[in-house]
Order: sequence, then structure tokens, then C-alpha cells
Amino acid sequence: MMSLVSYLIISLILFIVGLVVIIARKNIVAILLGIELILNAAALNFVAYSRYVTNNLDGHVFSLFIIVIAAAESAIGLAIVIRFFQIKETIHIDEATQLRN
Amino acid sequence: MIDQLFGFLSFYIPEVISILLMTTLLVAESSVKDEHAPRTKIHVYTQVVLGIVLITLFQNLGEKPVQIFHNAVTIDPFSTLMKIIMVIGTMGAVFISHSSKDIYSNLKSEFSIMAVGVLIGGMLLASANNMLTFYLGIETLSILSYVMSSLKREDASSTEAGMKYALYGGLSAGIALFGISHLYGVFGSIQFNDIVGQVAGLQGTDLAITLVASVLFFVGVGYKISVFPFHMWTPDVYQGSPIPVTAFFGIVPKMAGLAALVRISFVFLSAGSALTVSWVGLILVIAAMTMTVGNVTAIGQSSVKRMLAFSSIGHVGLMILGVVVMNEAGVKAILFYGLVYMFMTLIAFYITSHLSDMYGSDSYDVFRGLVYKHPVMAIIMAGVLFSLAGIPPFSGFVAKFNIFAVVIEQKHYGIAIVAAINSVIALYYYMKLAKTMIFGQASGEEKVVGFTSLNQAVIIALFIPVLFLGIFWESAMTMAGNAAIFIK
Repeated sequence: MMSLVSYLIISLILFIVGLVVIIARKNIVAILLGIELILNAAALNFVAYSRYVTNNLDGHVFSLFIIVIAAAESAIGLAIVIRFFQIKETIHIDEATQLRN
Repeated sequence: MIDQLFGFLSFYIPEVISILLMTTLLVAESSVKDEHAPRTKIHVYTQVVLGIVLITLFQNLGEKPVQIFHNAVTIDPFSTLMKIIMVIGTMGAVFISHSSKDIYSNLKSEFSIMAVGVLIGGMLLASANNMLTFYLGIETLSILSYVMSSLKREDASSTEAGMKYALYGGLSAGIALFGISHLYGVFGSIQFNDIVGQVAGLQGTDLAITLVASVLFFVGVGYKISVFPFHMWTPDVYQGSPIPVTAFFGIVPKMAGLAALVRISFVFLSAGSALTVSWVGLILVIAAMTMTVGNVTAIGQSSVKRMLAFSSIGHVGLMILGVVVMNEAGVKAILFYGLVYMFMTLIAFYITSHLSDMYGSDSYDVFRGLVYKHPVMAIIMAGVLFSLAGIPPFSGFVAKFNIFAVVIEQKHYGIAIVAAINSVIALYYYMKLAKTMIFGQASGEEKVVGFTSLNQAVIIALFIPVLFLGIFWESAMTMAGNAAIFIK
């Protein structure tokens, strides 16, 4: 039987996995994937709270907005990464060293 | 129902006009035939419409506070004044972009489109009254900012700045969203109106979750206004972006984030609970660290643009002190500081933009002996630097004084001492630049060219508030004083 706590644990795991991916991986596309994981963790939380605790539709609406905005954000992120790749011919984050004092 | 909607819209005219401006700019740009033609008409059109937005905002300033669209958006004098600051900042940035060589001419109207888009996001954020509008505002602001900072598509550092901004921004927005989701679970609503009443009664697990969640929530705002430890992206993004974009980033996203910080602080703290103590403590520590890191790092910079970036971190650290006192005097101090800071930043970036276009560099050397090359420019820049450092009679002094006054009134003596020490550090690096301009020997006999009388007129017009708000600050404070914040 799924309860609120199981959803919260799953979303916490998603959140932590996302953070670990962002910190550990050096590939920029992988970092964007990590950000998506964090956003999805939040969306899962909203739906779970909406179903088990608050009994209103705010959470559902919010999660729909999160999906839309996540799509917009990754579109922009990927576009910038493509520019970066065309200039540097790599998508390794350690190559982003132009801006150091 | 329809009548009610149109009634609401009458308070929302500034935003509606801005959205129309953004869409018409898109159409106007697609009708331009020669890619490299100067975009004078488009820029004039942008300025005129933004002027109309400004007028409608001033009309809203006199209205009573009201919550519209099912309490999703608050129109109060506080948010209206913040929007006025943002609109003037956008107008200034668009004006800088017109003559700047840092933005290629085929991208100039794109700059206007993005700037107006960010402005719309900032307006939404400044008057957000529930978590959803807050999140939408912060994302509208951010997503367009990523594009703006990577506007120089062929340039490695601009692209890298955009990429860093997008990665940091996405991460911090995600973390903030995770915090918001737990706040929704605890309070059962995303409306700020519903949350205000419940904060005082929190106990046990709910209180613990709220504490953690509001720290996560703070990450999202803290990154937008670039406070320590979320300031790491600021110098890189400021350095990599074209100068008009940097000037824009120094004003609009910061003011919007500050408005959001003030509003959520009032939501969570007005009741007074265990949350209040930890939130105030958090902001005090963060403000002290932000000021110190910003100012100390600014000393060692060789690029003026990067120095201004770090000094803006220092200014934000001082501004958020107005939040900890949690009364109207603090809000007034923030508004006044924001207004003055906006004018000072615009002028400083304007002059830096012109000089860096001319010499192809923004190091301290291009300012050497500026007083012989272009006296008007040098005197105004020196005045702005004095004002930024907080020396009377310029308005920067009054702005700093207001913040100190409210902080000391609430007996936060420790932070006042830290702020005072930081003012001295700031004085050092601003005066270093002023000394280079006035006492430094110019390398050649050449004059600064291309700074037309229109540019001089604009820069003097921007300088007048910097000078006179410092002397006749009573009237400005009365205007800001009526701009009280409205939380139901």
C-alpha cells in the first residue's frame, strides 16, 4: 500500500540523486539531466501532498506548470550547450575556463 | 465574471502593455530587411512604450492595495515602486544597448525583446502573492536571462557565461521548488494569504519541515539577488555578458528578487515564531558574509566590469539588512536604496560601456586621465563613485544612512559594525578608480570621441537624481513611505 511517506521518500531519493549527478558528473548534458530530476522530485511531492494531505487541486496545477517550465528551461539550456559545443568542441564542464580572473 | 476580470485588468495595465510591447517587437524585428541596419526606430518605439508603462505605474501608485486574479497577484504601492525602478532600469539598459558595440547590430532588437521579457517576469515576481506566481516570475526572469547573457553567439566567454548562468539557475530554482513543495504540504495551500495566519501556530514536525523548506526556498531568491554562498555565478556572468546586459542584470533581476525576498519575509515572519528567529539569524549571517565577500574580492579586480559586479554583491548585502528589521522603515530604506542604486549603476555601466567600446578593454587603464580626455564624463563618473562609496552629499550616503538607522534602531549593533567596516573597504576601491581618472596621466593626447550631446544629456539627466536625492531626500522618502507593503 502506497502512503504519503513512500512518495516523499521516493522524491527525496530523486532529489539527492539529482544533486549527486550535478556535483559528480562533468558532462554538461548530464548536469541538465540532474536538474530535471530535481524538478521532477518537486513535482512528485506536489502531487503526493495534493492527493494525501490537502485535498485541493493546487498541487496538480503546480506540477503541470513545473513540467512546462522544465521543458522551456531544458530547451534553452540545450541551445546554449550546443553553442558551447560548436565553439569548444567539447561538453566537458572543466573546459569552461574562459571566465577566470 | 467577465466584468470582474476586466475590473482586475485595470490594475494590470502596465504588465499588459509590456506583453504587447514584447510581441509587437518580435513582429517589428522580423520586418527589418537589412540585417545590419541600425535599429533606431525599434529602440525609440521601445522607449516610448516603456514610458507609457511608467506613466500607468505612477497612476497605480496612488491606488489602494488590491489583490487580483483570485489573490494570485498583489498590486500595492511597494510592488509598484519596485516596478518603477525596474522599468527605468530597462529603459536605461536599452538606451545603452543602442550605441554599444558590444552587442552586434543584428541582435540589438533581440536585446530589447529579451529585456522586456525579463521585465515582465520581474513585475510578476515583485507582486507575486502565491507560490505559483512566484515560481513563474522567477523562471520567466531566469530563462530569458540565460539567453541574454549568451547573446554574443560567436563569443566563447559570452556563451560560457550563459551556460554557467543556466546551470546555476536551474539548480537553485529546482532546490527552491523542492522547498516550496514541502511548504505546500505543511500549509495545505500555495496562497501567501493562507500561509500568513498559520505560521505562528506551527509546532513539532511541521515546524521542523518548514524550517528546512524555507531555507531551501531562500536558495531560489538568494541566487537571484546573488548573496553569499550563491554569488559564485555573478562575476563570471557579469564579465562574460555584453556590457548593456551586465547593466541590466545589475538592476532588474536584483530588484525583482529583493522585492520577492521582502514579501516572503513578511509572509513568514510577521507573526513572530521560532521561524522568525532563525530567518532573521540566517539573513544577518548571510548579509554579513555577502558584504564582506563582495567588497574584499572587489579590491583585487583589474577589470572595471568585474569590480562593479563584486561591488553590486556588496550593495545587495547591505540592502537585505532592511529585511531583518521587519517593519515599514526597513522596507522604505530598501526602496530608497534600490532607487538610488539603480541610477548609480546605470551611469557607471554607461560610461564603462562607452570607454570599453572605444579602447576594446574594460581595465582600469582605460580610465587613466579621463578628466583630461572628457571632463564631463570624468566628473559624473567621479560623482557616481563617491555616491556608491556613500560619501555625502550624494544620495548614496542617504541610502546607506537609512539602512544603518533602521538596523541600529533594532539594536543589531554587530551587523552595523560589519557594515561600517565594509563601507571603508568599498571606499578604498572606488577611490582607487576615482584617483586613476583624476590624477592618472593619460597615455596619449587623444580625446574621447563619439560621446554625443544626446548621450551627455541622458547621463546628466540620470545624474540629477543621484545628486539631488541626497539633498532633497525628504520628498522621495515620502513617496517611498506611502509605498507600504500589503499582506492580507
